Amino acid sequence: MGEHASYERLVFKNASVYHYMKIDLILESEDKRLNAAHFKQLIISALRDLYGEIGAAFPFDVLKFEEDTLTAVLRVYNSGLVKLWSALTLLGSYHSEPCAVRVTQVSPFLLALSGNSRELELD
Amino acid sequence: MFTNLEKCPRNLLVCEKSSFLNEKSRHDIHVAKHFFNYKVSILIPECGIIPSFLSSVVNGFSKYYLVRDLPLHKLLEDEFLEKVVKTGSLYALSYKTRIDQDNTFAILPTGQVILSVDKDTYEELGLEGKASQYNHRQPMRYVVTIDMTDKSLAPGGKRYKRVMWALKEKVQLTSDFLLARYSIGGDEEGLLQSCLSQYSCKELRPSVSTQTLRDLLCPSLDPADLRRDARSHDPQQFLEWLGTVTMDMSSNNEATSFVSTYCCPEPQSSMSQALVYTVTGLLLPEDIHSLLKELRRYFDEPRFTSWLSMTVHGFADSPISWGSTEHGFHKGGENFYTFVIFKNQDYWLHMATGANDGCPP
Amino acid sequence: MAVFVDLNISHTVDKKRLQNIIETAAHLGYSTVAINHVVDLQQKKQEIGKPKCVSELFDQFPIVQGKSRPIKVLNRLTLVVSEASHFRPTNEFKSYDVVAVFPKTEKLFHAACMSFDVDIICIAVTEKQPFYFKRPPVNGAIDRGVFFEISYVPAIKDSTMRRYTISNSLSLMETCKGKNVIVSSGAEKPLELRGPYDIANLGLLFGLSEGDAKAAVSTNCRAVLLHGETRKTALGIIHTMKKIEPTAERREEEEAPVLKRARTEAV
Repeated sequence: MGEHASYERLVFKNASVYHYMKIDLILESEDKRLNAAHFKQLIISALRDLYGEIGAAFPFDVLKFEEDTLTAVLRVYNSGLVKLWSALTLLGSYHSEPCAVRVTQVSPFLLALSGNSRELELD
Repeated sequence: MFTNLEKCPRNLLVCEKSSFLNEKSRHDIHVAKHFFNYKVSILIPECGIIPSFLSSVVNGFSKYYLVRDLPLHKLLEDEFLEKVVKTGSLYALSYKTRIDQDNTFAILPTGQVILSVDKDTYEELGLEGKASQYNHRQPMRYVVTIDMTDKSLAPGGKRYKRVMWALKEKVQLTSDFLLARYSIGGDEEGLLQSCLSQYSCKELRPSVSTQTLRDLLCPSLDPADLRRDARSHDPQQFLEWLGTVTMDMSSNNEATSFVSTYCCPEPQSSMSQALVYTVTGLLLPEDIHSLLKELRRYFDEPRFTSWLSMTVHGFADSPISWGSTEHGFHKGGENFYTFVIFKNQDYWLHMATGANDGCPP
Repeated sequence: MAVFVDLNISHTVDKKRLQNIIETAAHLGYSTVAINHVVDLQQKKQEIGKPKCVSELFDQFPIVQGKSRPIKVLNRLTLVVSEASHFRPTNEFKSYDVVAVFPKTEKLFHAACMSFDVDIICIAVTEKQPFYFKRPPVNGAIDRGVFFEISYVPAIKDSTMRRYTISNSLSLMETCKGKNVIVSSGAEKPLELRGPYDIANLGLLFGLSEGDAKAAVSTNCRAVLLHGETRKTALGIIHTMKKIEPTAERREEEEAPVLKRARTEAV
């Protein structure tokens, strides 16, 4: 039956050019609101604070941002992951009020972010 | 200095292209060998409600149990082995234990028991094992594999007694467990529960959720072209797109847009709607296999789509991924596979693992 | 790999705040934390008191995220020393699970590495490192199983301190090659805490490798706790065997060469 697809197997090592991060922004005062653009601006300034203009000049995307929960999914080139992550870690204030970024998951596969067994709660 | 800052932990992606009708196709083996599945997510393009034949397969998925503070040796006792382990396939995975921090246990349907334990526990246990592959400077984690089907481990025998003594007297390894058992007869309702009646045991069913998405862009797929050299998108891009759809992200941004520049890979077409159907719990490979079979039947009737996909996520803290390949958690514990099922019974299978994992089969 | 530990939660008399910090730590996935009592021996009338029993903090300790166990809370003592005569181990040491020293001078750093009976040596993060990390004392500390600590909270709060934290860490790593380093918070508020995987990534900025950085919040902290236990029991043995008075012995040891120290340890 020659009409079936012929078998083919490909193995990719570090093929994904991106890493993805699922994060939460925690603000001390709960009445502050911000939209996706504000949020991205906040991260860019965190990067600039830590790495300067040149060090921070790498692209990343806010693939998703939920205004009510301040939850986001970011996409960054592999070479920028450590820098982006550390800038998020060292981010400590937003408009001179304390804040923190909680990183829930990091993966080279976006799909993996939709199935994190560490979120399973059966109680 | 700072050479580390541009590096990333490694990851692996294996892509296969074949046909379900191909006699040598190994799709069923890959499904069967991925023992601990946490979530199945199906995407059906141009579909609004889940066809009843699919939801009824999912409703028939095996129940599973959450057992509290269960001593591991209980699962290896003579009676339990005879009644439960040897008469069907038992899946057991310690619950709320993290593979990069805690002692983690698993019982595979093959009868293998896997203990991934810290150095202290390993030394106290005195059972033979080997250092984990994902240790740092010094071995801090060890993996002990006990094959209960091995003749020399027959109950009553010297080696069996030694194992039980280690697990009962030396260190009583106790954990919360997720347990499930697949048996062809459907069967002996509550067998697991009756065997473990002394312990707090909660019966659980896989939970289901459905989401309908409207007006989205979709890459055009050609079953013969897995590699996509000639065109512009490759397997990674397809998987990324699938991720954006599953998580309901916008996929028609411009290269100039500030927030996100993500765009659906070309060539693309538009889809008026799509269904995302998700099942969560301790999902057995046997059940996933039946679901896959039914998904292939989706094309028995004329449809507006030429393909659909099924993604299966493994447990991030399982001590194994495929077969008995050691699995760990570095910055993440991803291990999943995605089938793209085409109308003509061709398929693509993408299998992915992260830094502390072997290569998918 | 071991559970995640933060060995530096700043002590405060504000019980509610302390509870909040510990709850956050549990939520972030830390299995063990230590409440840090800092005593600056330079200031007058500073006494090393007994710490409060941790069980008074909670009726029920918060459950660690993703586990079914409650968080373990320990007591830690940190002595800030600028003169050798200040460092005098007392019986109170035994009521702490972990003892750290923050040496302010090169001489004291040397002594801390070579002979002080402590588990942790703190590295300056709020000021420019005032002396070089020389190889002999650093290796001496590594051989004795003593760990160097970098606290990350000042780096979150202030950009100048961030620079100090990173540059002091990098010069330490040049000498210790990533061995025997722990990274802890020094948090005074819940929002200052960061998750263990975040810290494992941040460690790369401090010059640690991937593996060393993760060990700095897990395996290495476990080693510190074991060292602390041995220290507690070892002191006990000295007492029961009626050896030389511990205080007299220590004073002599501060300047003592390695060999002598090794011999007294072997007794």
